[in-house]
Amino acid sequence: MNAITVIFLVCYAPLWFAAVRYDTQMFQQNSYRMSRYARWYRRGNDWVRAVAIAALAAASLLPFVSQTEFCGVAALVMLLAAWRELRTVYKLPIVYTMRVRRLFITAALLTAAAIAAALAFAPRYMPATALGLLAFPIVMSAANLLNRPVEAAVARWYYNDARRILRSMPDLIVIGVTGSFGKTSTKHYLYRILSEKYDVLMTPGNFNTTLGVIRTVREHLKPHHRVFIVEMGAKQSGDIREICDLVRPSIGIVTAVGEMHLETFRTVENILRTKFELIDSLPADGFGVVNLDSAPIAANTATYRCPVASYAVDNAAADYRAVNIAYSPAETTFDIARGNETRTHYTTRLAGRGNILNLLAAIAVADRLGVSEAMQKRAVRRIEQIEHRLSVKRTAGGIAIIDDAYNSNPAGAKMALEVLREFRTDGGRRIVVTPGFVELGARQYELNRELGRDIAQACDMVVIVNLTNRDAIAEGLADKAFPDDKIRKVASFAEASSYLADRLRAGDAVLYENDLPDSFK
Amino acid sequence: MKSKINVGVIFGGRSVENEISVITAQQAMAAIDTDKYDITPIYISKQGRWYTGQALMSSDNYKDMNRLYASCDEVYLRPVYGDNRLYKVRKPLFGSDVAATLDVILPALHGTNCEDGSFQGAVEMTGIPYAGCNVLASANGMDKITMKMILAQSGIPVVEYAWFSDKEWFDRREEVVERVERTLQYPMIVKPADSGSSVGITAVHDREQLTEAVENAVSYSKRIIVERLVERLKEINCSVLGDYYECEASVCEAPVRSGEILSYADKYLGGGKSGKTGCGVKQSQGMRSTVREIPACLPDAATDFIRATAVETFKTLGCDGVARIDFMIDEATDNIYVNEINTIPGSLSFYLWEATGVSFTELTERLIDIAFRRKRDSSFKTTSYKENIFNYTISGAKGAKLGSKSGGKI
Repeated sequence: MNAITVIFLVCYAPLWFAAVRYDTQMFQQNSYRMSRYARWYRRGNDWVRAVAIAALAAASLLPFVSQTEFCGVAALVMLLAAWRELRTVYKLPIVYTMRVRRLFITAALLTAAAIAAALAFAPRYMPATALGLLAFPIVMSAANLLNRPVEAAVARWYYNDARRILRSMPDLIVIGVTGSFGKTSTKHYLYRILSEKYDVLMTPGNFNTTLGVIRTVREHLKPHHRVFIVEMGAKQSGDIREICDLVRPSIGIVTAVGEMHLETFRTVENILRTKFELIDSLPADGFGVVNLDSAPIAANTATYRCPVASYAVDNAAADYRAVNIAYSPAETTFDIARGNETRTHYTTRLAGRGNILNLLAAIAVADRLGVSEAMQKRAVRRIEQIEHRLSVKRTAGGIAIIDDAYNSNPAGAKMALEVLREFRTDGGRRIVVTPGFVELGARQYELNRELGRDIAQACDMVVIVNLTNRDAIAEGLADKAFPDDKIRKVASFAEASSYLADRLRAGDAVLYENDLPDSFK
Repeated sequence: MKSKINVGVIFGGRSVENEISVITAQQAMAAIDTDKYDITPIYISKQGRWYTGQALMSSDNYKDMNRLYASCDEVYLRPVYGDNRLYKVRKPLFGSDVAATLDVILPALHGTNCEDGSFQGAVEMTGIPYAGCNVLASANGMDKITMKMILAQSGIPVVEYAWFSDKEWFDRREEVVERVERTLQYPMIVKPADSGSSVGITAVHDREQLTEAVENAVSYSKRIIVERLVERLKEINCSVLGDYYECEASVCEAPVRSGEILSYADKYLGGGKSGKTGCGVKQSQGMRSTVREIPACLPDAATDFIRATAVETFKTLGCDGVARIDFMIDEATDNIYVNEINTIPGSLSFYLWEATGVSFTELTERLIDIAFRRKRDSSFKTTSYKENIFNYTISGAKGAKLGSKSGGKI
């Protein structure tokens, strides 16, 4: 081992860290699922890879080139590359959880072992080996594989702890909320309404996986909680059943069955069956609540152990119906028809038909748990809009921002565009900023084209973000003869913001529809 | 193994009613349903130090305070929002320094530094739900002057009064005396504005007595109130339980007194010479010792008026939990006035509620529920200043920021 090797290794370390961090970050964003990650990886090509592969190629020229010169140049290039990567600001940066730390440790050990072996047996090829390890996410994947038994044991321990806590609270009312979309909003509204009467805990933010639920139970559930609302997300079949086995809900809400995550589910029937794992798991004296405006749910003929109530705005066969809906810029009012009786004059600051549906679901459960009409109305009137979920804000400069940036889907986009169309702009323009939808499997192009057509009929100007769906949306816009000079194509949201910054005037309304994680181009 | 809610019962305090509150707390702790709740007793000494330990639950141990302290752990709460742990002052070498995690606090403290909002304010910092009035209601309930001002403004009958500060008295005594005599007629009653339990209170019939009484009162407080003395007085107490929106009144009681006013001795040491209870009550049983008439013998109209006014007083001051409102009936004119409110009444007025049909155990449970409900309601009032990720400037508008960093409202 000579001085130049040491210099090489010292300059290699930051690049190693940057590369492994990036790999782990993308792995984390793909929920630590190898199959999902692999699919994501196959789609994209990054400059880090390009550089590493280039270095790998260069390294294989070693026998013909002086090692000192090569290592010298390589050291500089690696430092530059590491610097660039470490300085990049990501929308969703890596989170250094215990698992990530364990991954780094194993990865470091593996790399050290590989380099040591190379130095021992083929010292001339040590640089090649070192760089080769970074060209592909080998180190991270191997470390993940090796750590699997440890992670499994840790997860099992946490699961058992959460189960113990839940079983020590036999009077706790557990409510599950699931659906292709609308579950987070419904969860929030339900929380707000039930809090008029009970001490309620809900899984926070986007903690809708088994691990998220376990964390919520261990960190937040207290003996004085009477109700526990559990949002249940599903990335594949069986996910919801797993959560239900742990929390044992007695009430379940299915907000919608739609075309999300078609990549993993493949068919809408699969999605339906997965969501209804929640209703399946309810006991005979439990209570199910389902959205009859969602076509697959309306078409579902299966029967369940417990009574199931339905809600809808359009479908007249539903148990709970929202009628006499009136939108004004300040608030929305509606009545609720149930059987023969109608409860009048619910008012809310929320906008859009989707939100009314979500409120109906929450009210159905509130009825079941004895929350009076007065309490319901008080809560509904006070419900705050949730940021990034079709929330309407007016800036100090008189510009209306309709923020629907969270996990969009075709149906949700239609509702958002409906709100934009009916929005009172007092002569201002209507503008849509969107990257389109992803994870729609085979139908992605088609659904984004349809989005393009819908947008053409709802606004005056559109900014298409990212490459992923650019062509599909553009084609949809062209289908409806949308003027070309009103279309702007940008590479990122930041670019969209600066483009609009100079052009917006008081009275304009801007709809932000969907936002993609950094793992998408 | 059922999870129980941990209730921190806090008593003692740096007030003249320290011992009284020990009794209140003992009674409350005995009444709490231990099937549903775990109890953590926390005693605040007269020096203001906090202690916890099982020894606090037995009243015999309070005879030798030093021994009691030795058998307890000195503890503290961190004024950090969300931290509901009671920490030990002396950290053990091994193991945790947490003495207990409190889910809810039940204050059983009386008097200055306890009932006036200082304790409540400290707990607000931690975010732990607590029973009883919040800072605002506690402060206004404790200060006789602000209480009267608020009630008078709201049309609730209170006797005529005048007030001044201690320094005003020291500097401009003649002026103050003249002002008082102009506003009120003798006989009057002089009180420190914020002490509890009849301490520093004197009835006065002329200027000399007035001066002497004020000189006495200023040693207890910076604020002095002088009220018209109701000579032919019948005292009626009524308790209210609930929160600032929904509450109910208990039956009324008429405490019996030995002198012109209900004295400290009357209240806690079982009456004077003619002890109806029999001679020499061995151990003070707090408010239980007072001879009282429950329910008070009053015409129905008076009872109804008192109970309704008690509820209105409770709501106007924004109270929560259980409070006792003391009324005065001027038997010369049959006028009824609100005299004062006790936001943490002695023995939590359980005897009034038992007479109304609410057991002590149920009372404690409702107090705890109200505490949780208040916390819940407040959690929906917090305005968080969200960073707006979209920041724009209008061209030509002097760089006015459109983003709502300042919480730009619609």
